[in-house]
Amino acid sequence: MQPLGKRLFEFLFPAESDNWLGVLRLGLGLQVTLYSLSLRNDWNYLLAGTGQGLISRDLAEALLSVESHFIPRLGWLVALGAHVGLREETILSVGWICLFGAGCSLLLGLFCRVSAILAWFLHLCAAKSGGFVSYGVDNFMTIALFYLMLSPLPDRYSLDWRLRKSRSKDPQLLGFWRRVLQLHLCLIYFFSGLTKCLGSGWWDGSNVWRALIRPPFGVIDPEILVRWKYVFPIAGVFICLLETAYPLFIWSRSTRKIWLICICAMHAGIGLAMGMYLFALIMIILNLAAFGPGLIPAGSSLSRYRRTETAIG
Amino acid sequence: MLRQKYFYLAWFGLHFLLIITFSCRDTLGLIAQGPTIFPPSFKRFSQKAETAVSAAVGQRLAASNPVRQALATYLHIAGIEAGYGYFAPNVPGSYKLVFELRYPDGRMEYELPRVSSAAAGLRLAGLLDQIGRSRYNALREHLVKIVAQSIWSEHPEVKTIRAVFGSIRLPSVSEFEQGKRESYQFLYGYDFSLREEPVIPERR
Repeated sequence: MQPLGKRLFEFLFPAESDNWLGVLRLGLGLQVTLYSLSLRNDWNYLLAGTGQGLISRDLAEALLSVESHFIPRLGWLVALGAHVGLREETILSVGWICLFGAGCSLLLGLFCRVSAILAWFLHLCAAKSGGFVSYGVDNFMTIALFYLMLSPLPDRYSLDWRLRKSRSKDPQLLGFWRRVLQLHLCLIYFFSGLTKCLGSGWWDGSNVWRALIRPPFGVIDPEILVRWKYVFPIAGVFICLLETAYPLFIWSRSTRKIWLICICAMHAGIGLAMGMYLFALIMIILNLAAFGPGLIPAGSSLSRYRRTETAIG
Repeated sequence: MLRQKYFYLAWFGLHFLLIITFSCRDTLGLIAQGPTIFPPSFKRFSQKAETAVSAAVGQRLAASNPVRQALATYLHIAGIEAGYGYFAPNVPGSYKLVFELRYPDGRMEYELPRVSSAAAGLRLAGLLDQIGRSRYNALREHLVKIVAQSIWSEHPEVKTIRAVFGSIRLPSVSEFEQGKRESYQFLYGYDFSLREEPVIPERR
């Protein structure tokens, strides 16, 4: 093997513990559960077909079919239910219950793989069928659930590990999926930061002001916000730099901690100041899963992982 | 194991190539739409580059092309079909949809599309953004009509509905300090009647 190829393999397949996977599974379990609960009363109203709810699911699915007929959608489940005489309303409610159940199951670590696939599929169906009412949080949940579903589940904190004696596989495979998540996050922040840098409003702070007062995000009274007007340009530049430079500073052990804290604080701030709690939560989960466990010395956590595996196995 | 690793490596290469390509395409699209900090001459270059990038990943193939359909399926199931330019390059204004309900006895009421939770409220705002930013008049009109139908189902006795779609103009910090508040600007108006009479759109 060529040295460059060998280095690439070493980078992409490092031996890793499953700490990160535990964080991702628990976090996504919480996220899916809260997502389901937050939409409990509006689920059918937002996702019903023509004439039943706020916006037609049928129209979103028709537009989706222009792109591809194979993208999962709730229409498939509704059609399947119609064959056995179930009404659309019943199918949508069952879909919600299954998604909520999958979230709780992920939280407990029970039937991890099946729960991850079910959560990914049902959430994807809802996000695509409700395309007109989807936003960034759905995009990031799809990404996270896609990686979770493919990762070597279960992790050692799950009930599957303890009760069913299921074991995850190769530590190098765990390392590979963590690298995928890490690199994807770097690209997300780089492009997010780069596109913000293109707008003059992020350099003079006016975009921070606009984001905070824009309906429906206006959680804080503008009368209070305007007292902090001198902070907006600093905050705007800070956000641009934090995001664009994320791929540079998150890898170095000396700057990782501060960058991770800053980025999580930024998301927490967005969540609190703009009412985007679910968006904040998914971004914090992705960051903590990708780069959080690295703050603990890797050697010790991996050896502890191997000891646990030997003791239980 | 080595063969498995090569398989993962191939998937990794393809997956990240798609992420980077679509992110670049969307970034170029934002520059092409403008305004950005780049001079206006960059717009034409960005448009051309966006077209070239789109073509490179099969986005200019016929919609029925199996390669394009397979690619679209993978992009959607992996959640990588769009770039990450949230609130970029600048934070846009928001939109408002007001329904004027006219009863047979001449009474008039005003109604807004409503949901019961804050989480669904964010989604409703997203819907209004999509209606407002739609480049297709027919789609915009159809979406407003569907939302009007949902209002109608709650008020079956209504004779006609007039939908007024407008944008919300946000004040700058200095304007706010001078006492200026957010203002509503009329964009489109649509009249709907129960007998499915042709919709007469009214533009500003």
